[in-house]
Amino acid sequence: MRQIIKATQLLADEWPLPGEEASSTGAVRLTLIDYLAWCGGAALPGVPAGARVAVRLEPADDEADLLPYLGQLPLIDVHFPKSAEGRGYTQGRMLRERHGYTGELRASGAVFIDQIYLLARCGFDAFELAEGQDPQAVIAELQRFSVAYQPMVDGLTQPLRRHR
Amino acid sequence: MYRYDTIDQTLVAERVAQFRDQTRRFLAGQLSEDEFKPLRLRNGLYIQTHAPMLRVAVPYGLLSTRQLRMLAHLARKYDRGYGHFTTRQNIQYNWPKLEDVPDMLADLATVEMHAIQTSGNCIRNVTADHFAGIAPDEIDDPRPYCEIIRQWSTVHPEFNYLPRKFKIAVTGSPADRAASEVHDIGLHMRRNEAGEVGFEVLVGGGLGRTPIIGKVIREFLPREHLLSYLEAILRIYNREGRRDNIYKARIKILVKATGEVAFREAVEAEWALLRDTALRLDVAEIDRMRAFFVPLPYETLTDIDATAGREPEFAAWYRYNTRAHKMPGYRAVVVSLKAPEIAPGDITAAQMDDLAELADRISSGQVRSTHDQNLILGEVRQQDLYETWQGLSALGLATPNVGLLTDMICCPGLDFCSLANAGSIGIAKQINERFTDLDYLYDLGPLEIKMSGCMNACGHHHVGHIGILGVDKSGEEWYQITLGGSASGITSLGTVIGPSVAKAEVATTISKILDVYLAARQDEESFLQVFRRIGVQPFRDQVYATDH
Repeated sequence: MRQIIKATQLLADEWPLPGEEASSTGAVRLTLIDYLAWCGGAALPGVPAGARVAVRLEPADDEADLLPYLGQLPLIDVHFPKSAEGRGYTQGRMLRERHGYTGELRASGAVFIDQIYLLARCGFDAFELAEGQDPQAVIAELQRFSVAYQPMVDGLTQPLRRHR
Repeated sequence: MYRYDTIDQTLVAERVAQFRDQTRRFLAGQLSEDEFKPLRLRNGLYIQTHAPMLRVAVPYGLLSTRQLRMLAHLARKYDRGYGHFTTRQNIQYNWPKLEDVPDMLADLATVEMHAIQTSGNCIRNVTADHFAGIAPDEIDDPRPYCEIIRQWSTVHPEFNYLPRKFKIAVTGSPADRAASEVHDIGLHMRRNEAGEVGFEVLVGGGLGRTPIIGKVIREFLPREHLLSYLEAILRIYNREGRRDNIYKARIKILVKATGEVAFREAVEAEWALLRDTALRLDVAEIDRMRAFFVPLPYETLTDIDATAGREPEFAAWYRYNTRAHKMPGYRAVVVSLKAPEIAPGDITAAQMDDLAELADRISSGQVRSTHDQNLILGEVRQQDLYETWQGLSALGLATPNVGLLTDMICCPGLDFCSLANAGSIGIAKQINERFTDLDYLYDLGPLEIKMSGCMNACGHHHVGHIGILGVDKSGEEWYQITLGGSASGITSLGTVIGPSVAKAEVATTISKILDVYLAARQDEESFLQVFRRIGVQPFRDQVYATDH
C-alpha cells in the first residue's frame, strides 16, 4: 500500500495512480485530458458510476482548465517528473492563492525531502514521495524554517512587512 | 549598510543547519551525487577541477570591514590563503574541503553573510553600481531596493527550480556601472515628471552562447510595485521558459521567441493580478530600508588639489585609481586587484586584513566589490589620499591601472573551472608580461579587456572593448578575439575579428590591434570611439596580414 504524507501525518493512500483501476471505495485519478472529457460527459471505461474523481496535472498543463471544477475536486495531484522541474510550484500557488482551491493539493513524482519545505509554502498539503525517502524525516523537514521573507498563503512571518 | 535582525539571522542559521544535514547525508551515502548537486549549488558549492569551489554572496557588492576580516579568516583557515572576487561582486574560494563547507557557512552567518543562491537555477545575488550612494550623477541610492530584492528572492518557494539561473542588476545612475543591460533583469532608477522614484525595467539581456542586450519592457515602474513586477516576470519565465535544452533556457531566449511585445503583454497581464497583493511595498517599509543606507556623517570640506607637490607616481595613481565623490572634499578610491603578477581579482588573506584596517582608519569601515573585480574604499577625505596611496602601495594594491589595458576582467578558466575550454589566467599573465610600460598604457587610455575561458562568458568577453574567448581546437587552447563591445554607456556586443589565434599569439595579436588604433586615433579618441568610427576591417587586415 502506497503511503503519503498529508497534513504532517503518514497515511495510506486511497487514490490509485492515473491508468490504474478505481479503488474499492470508488476513487479514481485521471489525467487532465481524461478529467476534462469526463467532466464534459464522456463515459470513460475506468470510471465507475458514482466514482470520486481526482486529477493529475503534468508540468505543461494549465491549471486554469480546472476552474469550473475546483469546488468538486477532492484531490489535485501536481506531478513532478524530475526534481529539477519547477512549474509545479507555480501551479500549486495559482490553485491555492489565486483560485482559492481548498481540497487536497498533492505533489507526486520526483518529490524528495529537500523540496518539501518549498512545496509546502506553495500551498501543497500532501506529498507522494519518491522512492527511498524517510517519511518521519520528511515530516520533520516541514518545520525546517521558522521564518521566511515572502508573503505566501501559509501566513508565515512576512519580514518585508515586519515593522507592522 | 543593512544590518540583520533576528529574522534574517534565524533564516541563515536554519539554512546552515539544513545544508549541514544535506552534506552529512551525502557523505553518509544517503544522497547520490545527482541528488546532492542541486542542493550544494544553491549553497554556492561547485565541484571543480581540483577541489570544491565555494562562492560567497556579497549582496550588491557591499562589505563591512568585519565581514572582510571574516573573508580573510575563511581564506586562511579553510583555503590556501586567498580568495577571488568575481564579475558579480562575489568572492570565491577555490580550495575548500567539502566537509568543511557547513562550518564555513556557519562562520559567515556570524557576520551576517551567506552563500545562498550564488549558483543553481534560481535567482542569484543581486548586483548594483559599485559607486551606489556616493556617485555624483546618482538619481537615488539603489541599495535599499537591492536589499528588498535580496530578501524577496532568498529561498523563494516558487522560484527555486527555474529553467536556468537568473541574474538581476540595479543602477541608480544614468551611467551603467553594473552591466545591467546584459542581465536577465536590469533595473534603472528613474524619476518621473512628478519627481517620484521608480524603475525602468529591462528584460532578457545576457551573455553566454547567445549574447543579447536587454529590452525595455516598462519605462517607469513606481517603486512600490517593484516586487510584484519582478514576481510577474519570474512567474512567466518559470512557466514558459524552455526546460528541454540548457542552452536555450535563459529568459533572453523566451523573450526572443515570444517577441518583446507579446512578452511585455504577458507580464503586464500577470502583474495586473499581483500588483495590489501583499507584495505591494508601502512607503513606511521602503523608508525603513532606506534608513539603513543614509549618508555617512560627512565632514564639511572643500575640494583640494591632492596631488600638488607630490611625486608623479602618486599623481598617476590619483588620476587612474580615484573617482569623483558626491561630497566636496572626498574621493572614492579603487583598490586595484590587477597587479601584474597576480591572477585578476585575487586577494590574499593578509591583504584583506590590512585593507580592512586601512578602511577603518581612513574610510568608512566599508569596502565595496566591483563587477570588474576590484575593490573600492568609498569615503576617503582628499587630505588622506596620500596616506591611502602609501598604505595601498605597501599592500600591493595600488597598481595605477584602473580602466586601462591591464585592468582585465578574467574568469578562473581552465586552471580551476571544470566548464572551461581554455585557460584565461595564463593569458592575463602573458598580457601583463607584454605590456609593462605604464606610459604606453596611459597613452592608450581607457581600454577594457575581458576574457572568458568558455562560452559561458563569466569574463564578459562579449562586452570587452577587446574580448578574448578561449576555445578548444582538437585539444589545444585557442582564442577568439572580439572588438568593440561595451557594457557602459551605449551597450554593444563585440564583433569577431576573424579566426581564433594560438595561445602564444594572443599578446602579439593585441599589439597589432593597438597599432591600428594608435595609427587611426584622432585627437583624444578612445579605442572604443575609434572602433565605432572605422569598424572591424582595418583591425582584421592588420591581424591577418600575411608577411611578404
